Formats: sequence, structure tokens, C-alpha cells
Amino acid sequence: LGRQAKSAAKPVTIFWNGRAIEAEAGDSAATALHRAGIRRLGCSRKLHRPLGSDLVLGLQAQLDGLPNVRLDRLAVRPGLALSSQNVWPSPGFDLLRLARLIPARWVRGGFEHPKWLPSGSRRFELWERVLRFLAGGGAAVSPARPGVLQSGERLAVDLAIVGGGPAGRRAAIAAAQEGRSVILICRGPSPGRFAAAMGEALPPLPAGIRLLAGWEAVGLYRRGRLLVAAPHDGGPALAIEAGEIALATGRRSLAPLVPGGDLPGVMDLPTAAGLLRDRAIPPGQRAFLIGTSAHDAIATRLRGLGLALAGAAEAGSVIRVLGLDSVRGVALADGKRIACEILIHAGLWRPDPLLSFQASAAGELRLAPGPLPGHIRLCGAAALAPEPIACAKLDDRAFICPCMDVAVAEIRDLAADGETHVEVLKRLSGCGMGPCQGMPCWDYLAAALSHLTGRPPESFGQPSHRGPRGGLTFGQAAGLADLIAPEDPR
Amino acid sequence: VKASVAIIGGGIQGLMLAFCLAERGMKDIAVFDAGYWQGGASGRNGTMVRGGFSSPEWTRFFGYSHRLWLGLSRRLGHNVMYTQRGYAILAESERTAGIIEESLRTQRDCGVASRRLPTPELQRCLPAIDDTRVTAAMIFEDGGTAPHHAVMKGLRAACEAKGVALHYGTVVTGIERAGARAAGVWCGADLISADATVIAAGGHSPAVAGLAGVELEGRPWRLEALASEPMRPVLGPVLALLDRTVYMHQTARGEIVGGCEVQGDFAGATLASDLPVMAHYARHIVEMMPALADLRILRQWAGIIHATADFAPLLGPHPDCRDLWISAGWSYGVMGAPAAGMLLAEAIATGRIDERMAPFAVDRKRQGRLICESAIVVSD
Repeated sequence: LGRQAKSAAKPVTIFWNGRAIEAEAGDSAATALHRAGIRRLGCSRKLHRPLGSDLVLGLQAQLDGLPNVRLDRLAVRPGLALSSQNVWPSPGFDLLRLARLIPARWVRGGFEHPKWLPSGSRRFELWERVLRFLAGGGAAVSPARPGVLQSGERLAVDLAIVGGGPAGRRAAIAAAQEGRSVILICRGPSPGRFAAAMGEALPPLPAGIRLLAGWEAVGLYRRGRLLVAAPHDGGPALAIEAGEIALATGRRSLAPLVPGGDLPGVMDLPTAAGLLRDRAIPPGQRAFLIGTSAHDAIATRLRGLGLALAGAAEAGSVIRVLGLDSVRGVALADGKRIACEILIHAGLWRPDPLLSFQASAAGELRLAPGPLPGHIRLCGAAALAPEPIACAKLDDRAFICPCMDVAVAEIRDLAADGETHVEVLKRLSGCGMGPCQGMPCWDYLAAALSHLTGRPPESFGQPSHRGPRGGLTFGQAAGLADLIAPEDPR
Repeated sequence: VKASVAIIGGGIQGLMLAFCLAERGMKDIAVFDAGYWQGGASGRNGTMVRGGFSSPEWTRFFGYSHRLWLGLSRRLGHNVMYTQRGYAILAESERTAGIIEESLRTQRDCGVASRRLPTPELQRCLPAIDDTRVTAAMIFEDGGTAPHHAVMKGLRAACEAKGVALHYGTVVTGIERAGARAAGVWCGADLISADATVIAAGGHSPAVAGLAGVELEGRPWRLEALASEPMRPVLGPVLALLDRTVYMHQTARGEIVGGCEVQGDFAGATLASDLPVMAHYARHIVEMMPALADLRILRQWAGIIHATADFAPLLGPHPDCRDLWISAGWSYGVMGAPAAGMLLAEAIATGRIDERMAPFAVDRKRQGRLICESAIVVSD
């Protein structure tokens, strides 16, 4: 039924680096570009390696003089003109791509202080001009852009739910039956899209709840009493005081920590299911599936959605993803090589810790979440334990933090020098300082340290998770200024 | 175990002092820090450096510190990434325009290079700013920033090269008293006796002074800052907005990093951040630089400083305990660290209190000699 509705949708023309692309109304820009066969959208900060859709830097582009626009959260509209960022002098003739030839070990040490930089004020300043240009990625925002303060709103509800999947819906239904006021925040343009694409039966949302679709829950402040949410389209944000909060945020699948694991074409199951639903995987593209459980059921479903699946295997069995600019195949531990253009990962599944960490971590070190306050509960998959990361082999060429080009080898050498504190490693390497702010790099960092030292991964803690991770603009945040008074600590 | 100087706190003050003492040839210097390297305010600050304020006391001290910044990479043998991209201060009212005039006069008298920033030049170096709101502007052309991770990395390496013993993750549980003097520090069951003991423990300094049975004026004070997503340069110099108590700069990484003050009392020992600072800072940005309104905020964090009655540092010997030295009360700690390290090292080694350091005496509140400085962007 969804397909028939889609087929009837009017085509929309958008532009990518000046090239016209036919999109379908309702597409996100990322979906439309994938359907058009465009694989490279964004690249890493230092080495300009092309990145896949699992990584925020693999999804950012420029729009109307504004850098860092997320293509997966941008709905197409006629005439939408997008261009690649972090290119020079132009997207078609990009000399910065030559940075790929630089050995990764030369650009170790954060972005801006590798060992070979000149020291002393004047010489450094000349270098710094180049660095600021390179590091900035997106264009400088045009000074002529009109800026708008988005007047926000403060509201109180009985229950705030984050996540529109089955668990979020069940929480909404139970609360609505008790007559409580409910607000439900979900990231997608409609709630429960992943579950629906996977053929799961979704209970209908009850009438009378306030649904915020295409919104991000960006922060949980004051021991979880104050939830801030903002729409992806830049409109007014909300400061929500909720009697109870249900975090039904599910889990995210981590791409394998192997060389090539960050290439365009590597994608998590929800992304792949969404592309299939929107018929955005071009015919002829073969896929390989890896995961931690229920491969067979997932494979059957994906084939049913029309995917040419070349095979499936345990997540740990991939030792390398092949390809230079995008996926061309996978190499498995048993020596087999399988040609494919897409690698779908369905596990390791791990929850995103941002909101529960913000609500519970206290004190002056904040290296681990505390116990959740009584009014906050985790629902559904978000409540499941994170799947353990087994690093049987740790390939020096794999990138722990692909956006900032932090490879296993860099962490291995720092650990060999005795640096195993995650906050110190973050400062020395820049690991987790990119636009995803450490999800999932810090999980991999702890796993790699565990492998290198023999200590359990939990013993390393995690650097503090810090919002709002790009979920809020200055204009949106400004609109909340007079709504919430500073807290009186006494 | 014996140390010549035991320094409590391995932040920028503790490490700079240790380096300056070692530079003078002193041996057996030990630094103790309860947290991790760069875990305190030295790993989470504005990183901004200028040489002048409106009062002669601050201007003489920070003017000296700024000159030391210019040669710090050479002294340490490591790139601290100090960049003289300029430091602009903007006023939007008659009152703050007066502060700028007063500052320029003081700085001229103290030999610190600063000048008015004419509107065309302001538009050129800060193209996004709404200059119709600006009533007066000044710039320190050789002011700038030094990223804390680079500074701390250089300091740590230089200290280690000079044989300073750095003990992170080591809690000082007591300060040994021998009659009227401080005689070393206790770390659990271990006594490290020392000829001189220094408290440079940031927001913890008053509590650490309590271990020696003496008082230190001030209290822990939480500040928050945030960073935008990166982009190519749009802010030339570092920027301070006096009327709004806002400060910001664009890092070498492309992020616009800054913060502001909001009314309220931010005592408390948590690094969890809150909404008001982010929201007010964002509003200041949207009002002053409307073009940045659609930029996204990447992360927000908090740090804890030691706020004194006049927001000036407490620097020198403790009046109530011999051989106990203080480098605390910092709200402009990165800016002042090179001077504090040099002058305190001189005082510890020779007993001489330099006249640039003297106004920041630890007991100035008791003596009724608080310093009146109006060109700072922290306020009660």
C-alpha cells in the first residue's frame, strides 16, 4: 500500500553540486541522493576519507551558505540546492582529496597539534590560518544570513516519551488510558518507521497525545526534571517539565571495527530498511548482512522488501570491508570474499547513552552514569544491556573515531605509553570530538583499551556525554532564554 | 619521602609553577592532583589571553603574563599554539564605553599595547557583528588564544623533562603542620615532607586550605561554556562583550567556543550543565550576530573555578601559616598562569614578593584592600 502511495507522489527536482536529481516528495535528501546512486556525501576531517551514513560527517552538506546541514533530516523540496563541504577549490575539482594520501600516523594528535607543526607565535600563526580553513569543514556562514530567534515554549506534562517505536507507543497507550497528559518525541518524520519497515505490527497511537515527529530530544537537565526538545527544521524548541519520562530510544547498531567499516555503503539496519521502504536502493546493488542475532528472520524480511542479498554472517566474522570510495565487498575471517555494494549491520546493538547519562551523572569527574532518577524509566530495547564488543583481533588500520581519523594504531601507541584514561585519550587524540560526540567511538575506545590492557571495558568509564550534539541551533536555544530561571542550589 | 616543594593541584597553575621552579634549578618538586590530567578547570576553559584590564593592578600583572605567553613555546620546547589573532572588547552602553576609555588610559600608562577599534575595521574582522549596537570598541592586537590541551601538553612534557614528579589520581588527604609552618602533605598513609607547600587546587582550594587549618577566602563557582559545530573562519579576533558578560572565540578546529554569565548562584560541585547559560548565550549571539542563528550547538560543559570577593587571584604566602603558598582564586587562570608561575617561583625561592604580585595578597579582603576591576566578564 505504501508503495502505491509513493508511486503516485510527484517527482521533485533537487540539485547536488549543481547536478539535477529526481527525488520523490517525502524523501529525505540523503534518501534521494542514494537513489540517484551518489555514494560520497561527506568525508572525514583530516584525511578526507569518504564516510558512510552511519557517521554524521558522512551526512553533512552545505545549503544556502549554511554549513553542516544533515541530509538525513532534511526533507526535499523543489529546487533544493545542496553542495559538498570540506572541498577546495570546488566539489568537482577537490584538491583536498589528496589528503587521503597522507599516512594516518602523520596527522595524529587531535586536529591541530600534530608533532610536525611549527612552534613559536609567528610561524605558527601562518600555519594556523591554513589549519582554520581546513578544519572548518563547511563554509563560513554568510554574514548576510537573516537570523531569527525562535520563541520557544515551556510546558508541563504528566509523561514525556522519547521514541515512537513499539515500546514508546505502549507507554503512550497505558498513560492515555489513565487519563494522563502525554507528549511523544520521535526523530523520524512519523513514529515507528523502523518497526513498520521490518513488518512489525505497531499498536496505533492513542488520540489526544501530543506527537512531535521530526524532533530531537536534545538534553535532559536538572537530574532529569527538564527535557529540552527541538524540531529538526529549526523551528521553536520546547522546555518540557515532565512528571515522568520514558526513554524508549531503542538501540543503535555499531558498524564493525575493521578497516573500511566507515565506507559509504556501510549502513545500519534501520537505514537500510528505510531505503528499501522508499525504493531508494538502485536495482543491481547487492547487499551483505551481518548481525548478532536473528539473521535469518531479518534476511527474509529484507529479501521480501526486494533486496538482493548476497549472504549473511555473524557480526564478528567480517575482518575487512573492501573498497576505496565505497563498499565493493567484504572479507570474512574464513578467507572468503564476497562482492557487494552495501553492508548492512544488525548489531552490535547498544543504546545511545546521552540522555540517561545527562540525567544521572554527577560530581566532578562524570565518567559513568549514576542510578537513574525514580521518575525516569528505560523502555523496550533501550532497557536491554548493551551487547558486549568482542575485539578478538584489533586491526591497526581500523578507525575508532572515523570522523576525526583516530585509528586503532594511535590508541595502541598511546596505551603503550601508559595513557589509558579515556578523558586524557580524548584530549590527546581528538577521539569523539566530531559531530556525533562520542557515539559510538567511545564504546569502541573502551573496547580497544580492554583488548590492549586486559582490563574489563567497564573499568575505563566513558568521557562525559555532552549534548546537544547539533540538535539545537543558536536561534532555537535563544528562544528558551526567559523561560527557565537559573536553579537555586540551596 | 621528601620534596623541596609539594604542589597540590596539577592544573595550569600547578604545572606552570613547577616548571618555573625547575627552571630556576630547583630539584625534587612534586605535584599531586586528585583527578586526571586536564580534568579540572585547566581542561575546560575559554583559553583567551590579553594583556590589559581597567585597573593598574590587573594590567601590570596580566601585561607581564601576556609578554611571557609570547615566548612560552620556546621556553617549554613545545608548541602551546598561542596565536595572536587579536582580542576585541565591545561596549554597547555609555557605562561600558567608559570602561573601555578607562582601560585604554590605564593600559597606555602601564605600557600595554591596545587601541580603539574603528567601525570599518570592526566590520572587517567581525563581519557577522551588528555594529549598530556598538558604542565603543577596543582591540589588543597581540592578544589571542592558546588552546588548553596544547598548553597542558607542553607544560606536562616540559615538567617531566625537568624531573618534576607528577602524581595524578592522588588525593591529598592532609597538610602536615609543624607548629606555625606547613611541613608537607599527606596522601593517605604517606607523608611527603616539603620545605614549601603550595595550594593551587582551583575550586577545591578553600577546602584544601582547611586541611592545614587555615582559611582561604572565596567559594567554588560553576561556569558553563559551549561549542558550535565547526565552520571556516567567521570570527577574526577573540571577542568579549562587556554589557553581556559574554566571551567567545573561534578555535583552530573551527568551532565557536564561548560562554556567558547569568544571574544566579552557581555554587555546587557538579559538572552537569544546565539550560540557562546555553539559552542566554545563544540569545546574545542571535542579537549581536544574527547570521549565526542557524548554526548548531555541538556540546556544552561546565567547569568549576574559585571565585573570590573581587574575582582576582589569591597569590603569595598564606598569612596564617609559614611555608604555605597560595595560587588560587583564579577566574582568568590561563591568562595569568605564566606570570603567576614566574613570580610565585621567585617568591618561594628567594622570599621576594614582586610588586606586580603584591596587590593580590591572600589576606587582602581581611585588610580591606579588595581590587576594583570593572573590565572583567565575570560578575556577581
